[in-house]
Formats: sequence, structure tokens, C-alpha cells
Amino acid sequence: MSFEGKLALVTGGGRGIGRAIGLKLAAQGADIIVNFFRRRDAAEQTAKDIEALGVRAEVVRANVGDPAKIDEMFDMIGDKFGHLDILISNAASGVGRPVMDIDVKAWEWTMDINTRACLLCSQRAARLMEGRGGKIVSLSSLGSFLVWPTYAVVGVSKAALEALTRYLAVELAPRGICVNAVGASFVQTEALKFYFEEQLALGNLPITPAGRMVTTEDVANVVAFLCSEEAFMIRGQTIIVDGGFSIGSAAFSLGRKD
Amino acid sequence: MSIEEQIREIMAKITHVEQSIITRESTFKDIKADSLDVVQALAAVEETFGIEIPDEEAQKFENFGDFVSYVERQVPQQERV
Ligand SMILES: NC(=O)c1ccc[n+]([C@@H]2O[C@H](COP(=O)([O-])OP(=O)(O)OC[C@H]3O[C@@H](n4cnc5c(N)ncnc54)[C@H](OP(=O)(O)O)[C@@H]3O)[C@@H](O)[C@H]2O)c1
Repeated sequence: MSFEGKLALVTGGGRGIGRAIGLKLAAQGADIIVNFFRRRDAAEQTAKDIEALGVRAEVVRANVGDPAKIDEMFDMIGDKFGHLDILISNAASGVGRPVMDIDVKAWEWTMDINTRACLLCSQRAARLMEGRGGKIVSLSSLGSFLVWPTYAVVGVSKAALEALTRYLAVELAPRGICVNAVGASFVQTEALKFYFEEQLALGNLPITPAGRMVTTEDVANVVAFLCSEEAFMIRGQTIIVDGGFSIGSAAFSLGRKD
Repeated sequence: MSIEEQIREIMAKITHVEQSIITRESTFKDIKADSLDVVQALAAVEETFGIEIPDEEAQKFENFGDFVSYVERQVPQQERV
């Protein structure tokens, strides 16, 4: 796999899974645009670490929940680079509440950042991929089909994101653009602490058959694969990276003999 | 416009309240700002003034005045207009 000469935009690329994806693509030669929302320090550190790998890095602030900011970001990319090869729609936010407490504002906040942003970024990215093809990968979660406490609105936004991924995959295929998603289980980042602090503290997170938790690098590896030519015939899929968590019960791992 | 006026304008736009009801003593609740509004306001203020407001600091703001004072301390004197 080589991404030499390719330009990738990672939304929410300053920390967590987005950071790992940026570093992974950069290690294989891609120049990276690191988008962030509020944590400029993290984004700049990631850009520095990316540049240390010998490629170009650019930091751009944009709240992807705001269509005008998405436009500004892509205007900048168009002016400065004139093209884009890879879009990683990774930024996410959400309001952790039980269904009875979800109000319109919480719903819109989450859907705008997690789902609508992927549509709007893909539309703008597709134009910058004109004539050269491209790859779009978005980050989903097992919460799109499993039920977790207080995860409802995020889970719904991810289910919609996966449906959007299928439509994009079909409708952008004639433009030479491959679109897929990666669905992760619990990955140790700040988001995990936000939703599952209590379970983590109690040591309650179900054990995965693979024997350990998924890391940001595990996710980045699969994202990078989906950005490669080897994955050309995978379209509109959500590839699950969960160490078998969603298919094997925790009891499975109790039988491990290692 | 002073820093205070600019932040008041940002805040009022987000929560759809009259600027005149936002005083230094107003709590976020008085301004009808819930936690999502506050995040939006923080982001807008950070962008406007080119500063970063860590969440740990923002959590200490008890009212609009605390918010303004924090920003005033972060923005270099010479950049103020
Ligand atoms: N962690 C998990 O267990 C897990 C599991 C399954 C799926 N995922 C998915 O993987 C992706 C990354 O998750 P993570 O755990 O790395 O998240 P995280 O640690 O919470 O980081 C969130 C990232 O999104 C950015 N962001 C948030 N709101 C934004 C906005 N309005 N505009 C632009 N950027 C915004 C943040 O930017 P700032 O740094 O500027 O705040 C940050 O880079 C998400 O799509 C998440 O749903 C995570």
C-alpha cells in the first residue's frame, strides 16, 4: 500500500481515532489535512507528528456541524491544493441521554455533526476528486445496531451514516470514487470515557473474543486498507473492527487457553 | 466593539435572546444557554479571538462576566480594538 502523492482530509483528525488514521496514511506517503473543532493544540501536535514522517500536513479549523464552515474548509482546500484524493469522515459528537430526554436540539446537534457532515463533505470532496477518482471512508460504531445506555441519538446517527455510505457508494461509483465505512467497538479514546466511564471503572466492559480491546491503530489499519487499490471491489460496506465482540458472547473468551 | 460586546453578540445569536438581557452577572441559565449552546459559544469565541479555552476552564465560569474576563485575559492587549 502506498499513498505517495495523495492528499487526504481527516475530519476530527487531531486526536483519537482520527489522529491514528492521519498518521497511518502519512506513514504510507499521503499528505494530510487535519481538521479540528476546538482542540487546536492536539491538531497542531498531530500535524507536527505527521510532518516528522516526511509528508505535508495542514491544520484547518471547522465545525463540521455548520455547513458554512464545511464550505470554507473546502474552499481553502480547493484554493490551496486544487484537488483531494481521500476523505475520512471521522469527526463525531453526541449527547449522551436516554431516549426520553432527547430533545430537538440534542438530535440536530448529533445528526448534523455525525451524519449531515458526511453528506456535505462527500459532495464537496467528490468535486475535488473529479477526473482522478478517490476514496471516502466514514467512521461508524456498533451502536448503529446494538443498544447501549445513553447512546441512542449517536446510534441512530451512525445507522443513518451507514445507509448514506451505501447511497454514496453507488452514486459516486461512476466518478471512480470508492465509499465505505468502518464500524468500531469500544476503542480507548476520550469518547469512550464520555459514554462508558462507569462501565470502564467497574471493569465491566465485555471482553472481546480477540482477547483485548480494539486500539486506534486497529481501526486505522482497516481504514487505510479501504483507501487502497486492494479494496477496489469493496463498496458501500461497513467493515466491523471489534475483535469479534458483536458476534461472540463474552463467555467465548472465558474458554481461551492462552 | 469591545471583547465583551463581541461575546455578547455571539451568545445572543446562539441562544436567540435579546443582547440587552445579557449582563456580566447573567448565568448561562439566565441566558437560556444549555451545554450545547455553551460549546457552540466557546467555539465561536475561540475562532473570533484565535484563542483556546480548555473545557476545564470553561467549567469554572459561573456567569457571563467570568467568560468575558477569561477571554480578556487571553487576548493580548495590542490586538484589542
Ligand atoms: N472511541 C470509540 O470507542 C469509538 C467506537 C466506535 C466508533 N467511534 C467513532 O470513531 C470516530 C472517532 O472517535 P474518537 O473516539 O476518536 O472520538 P474523540 O476522541 O471523541 O474525538 C472526536 C474528534 O471529533 C472532532 N469533532 C467533534 N465535533 C466536531 C465538529 N463539530 N467539527 C469538527 N470536528 C469535530 C474532535 O475535534 P477536537 O479535537 O477539535 O475537539 C475530535 O478530533 C467517531 O466517528 C466515533 O463515533 C469511536
